[in-house]
Amino acid sequence: MNSIEAQHLTHRFANGDLALDDVSLRVKEGSIYGFLGPNGAGKTTTLRLLLGLLKKQKGHIQFFGQDFAAKRIEILRQIGSLIESPSIYSHLTATENLLLWQKLYQCPKNRIPEVLRLVGLGDTGHKKTGQFSLGMKQRLAIAVALLHSPQLLILDEPTNGLDPHGMVEMRELLKALNQQQGITLLISSHLLAEIEKLVTDVGIIHRGQLLFEGSLQALHQKQQEASSLVFVVNDPTAALALIQPVFPSVRAESDRILLPSLAQTDIARLNQQFVNQGIDVYGIQTTQSDLESIFMTMTND
Amino acid sequence: MQFIHSFQSEWLKTKRSLAFWLVVVGSFFIPLLMTVGRVIYADNLAKLVPLPNFWEQLLSQSWQFMAILLLPMGVILATSLITQLEFRNNTWKQLHATPQTFSTIFWAKLAVILSMMLGFFVLFNVGMYFSGIVPSALLPTVNLPAAAFPLRLYAETSGFFFVDCLPIVALQYLVSLQFRNFLMPLSVGIGVLLASMIAVEWKYGYTLPYTYCLYNFFKLRGATMPATGHTNIHLWALGYFALVTLASYVLYLLKSEK
Ligand SMILES: Nc1ncnc2c1ncn2[C@@H]1O[C@H](COP(=O)(O)OP(=O)(O)OP(=O)(O)O)[C@@H](O)[C@H]1O
Ligand SMILES: [Mg+2]
Repeated sequence: MNSIEAQHLTHRFANGDLALDDVSLRVKEGSIYGFLGPNGAGKTTTLRLLLGLLKKQKGHIQFFGQDFAAKRIEILRQIGSLIESPSIYSHLTATENLLLWQKLYQCPKNRIPEVLRLVGLGDTGHKKTGQFSLGMKQRLAIAVALLHSPQLLILDEPTNGLDPHGMVEMRELLKALNQQQGITLLISSHLLAEIEKLVTDVGIIHRGQLLFEGSLQALHQKQQEASSLVFVVNDPTAALALIQPVFPSVRAESDRILLPSLAQTDIARLNQQFVNQGIDVYGIQTTQSDLESIFMTMTND
Repeated sequence: MQFIHSFQSEWLKTKRSLAFWLVVVGSFFIPLLMTVGRVIYADNLAKLVPLPNFWEQLLSQSWQFMAILLLPMGVILATSLITQLEFRNNTWKQLHATPQTFSTIFWAKLAVILSMMLGFFVLFNVGMYFSGIVPSALLPTVNLPAAAFPLRLYAETSGFFFVDCLPIVALQYLVSLQFRNFLMPLSVGIGVLLASMIAVEWKYGYTLPYTYCLYNFFKLRGATMPATGHTNIHLWALGYFALVTLASYVLYLLKSEK
């Protein structure tokens, strides 16, 4: 079953900005879905739409197989969220903040110290949250999202403001929630590297359009395809004629021969063939495109 | 049921908030001044305590400062502060993603504001009572007031002032829900209040929504105003409250960005 199924979401803000253009998302139950895109791509807008924080203009939204508009309250009971900046009442302590959400969700009170410990805020006592550091606020916001033991977490840049150690901790925590309690996660980020080790599925959004959606493996596959091999030679025409029968996709750009990536032994053999045919090889380059650069190429038009 | 939980949650938010202190300090401020003044002018007080209308005088004096400026300003500030808490802390998005209807949120918040106001009236009456008793207790030469405390009169007076404040609550609530900037509800509040102060002498002054506290105070003083002879200002206040609250409710539900 899909935890989230959103179809054809289109959103235009009052000022005329088309923030989302026909975006469809599918988040499988039990998965960790990384929702990636650069600043201003439409991540937050999508998540706000999913939660009903923006009036839906076009499209359909389903959670757990149920229509959101029809079953809003039952659905929201199962969702924990953190959208953009932490939502924290700064004149109250961490415990008081959680207490007022506890009243609304009517979850057991002992969840409060539990989630505080979970996010590493076990000992803030009577300190007002207004005096918290950015990272501490972020942790508290995650505690709020976790408080009522939801089965789906929607987190908008959850590691925002955390130090490197905190980021690792947060990833571990999210992974543990997913693996031990089967919680589904939808996590947005503008850094692929940051969530690459965490996610099972990826959606890439840019300028309000979903460019890619699939498993992390599928993205790796794309990466494989995108990486390439370059020979710099003195006679590209001859080189091209020599290998075109074997590699139909080969191209020449001035003195450079461009091929899809090959195994090391194949590279050596190809080089030998060039030399045997009297073609001088000045250089061999392999461009390993990591996920980050795929992401960059996809989002760079 | 959800409404009660929502009310409890909203009530927790007022803890230690600016609005909370405004209510506490605001309700004891004038009684405290009255107490200090009466202790300092002990001779004057000695002449007052035997009077049969001792408590009526105290009521009228205490409300004088309260009704004209402090109460309307306090209601403007407290309503706006409580509502704007959500904007200031960026918490609307979290609140609107909780499993409750938007209606519940709207009415629970309004109920908390009204409860705070009720709390203010109770505290103010307690304060007035003590400002009548405490100076005599402190000064060995002055007797306690001879007249009995007219609880009913005090309660009724407060009841009318409560009703007369309701339009202020409703309009401030409406504006505070719509605009992120705190200056909006503040300037609307001060603007309408000033207009109302200017309009009290006018024949149709009662059509302005923030005039009713002023009119009620003049009535308490026994003064007749050109506008109040033939109209029931309390009904006008209730009417305004109902109308503006309804408008506020609809506008809140229609908001496209929550
Ligand atoms: N309230 C708003 N009114 C008008 N335009 C908006 C509003 N909120 C967002 N936008 C526009 O919608 C587009 C998408 O914004 P959004 O906040 O969804 O981006 P994002 O992917 O979350 O970016 P970031 O990584 O910076 O958080 C942007 O062009 C932005 O200017
Ligand atoms: Mg964002």
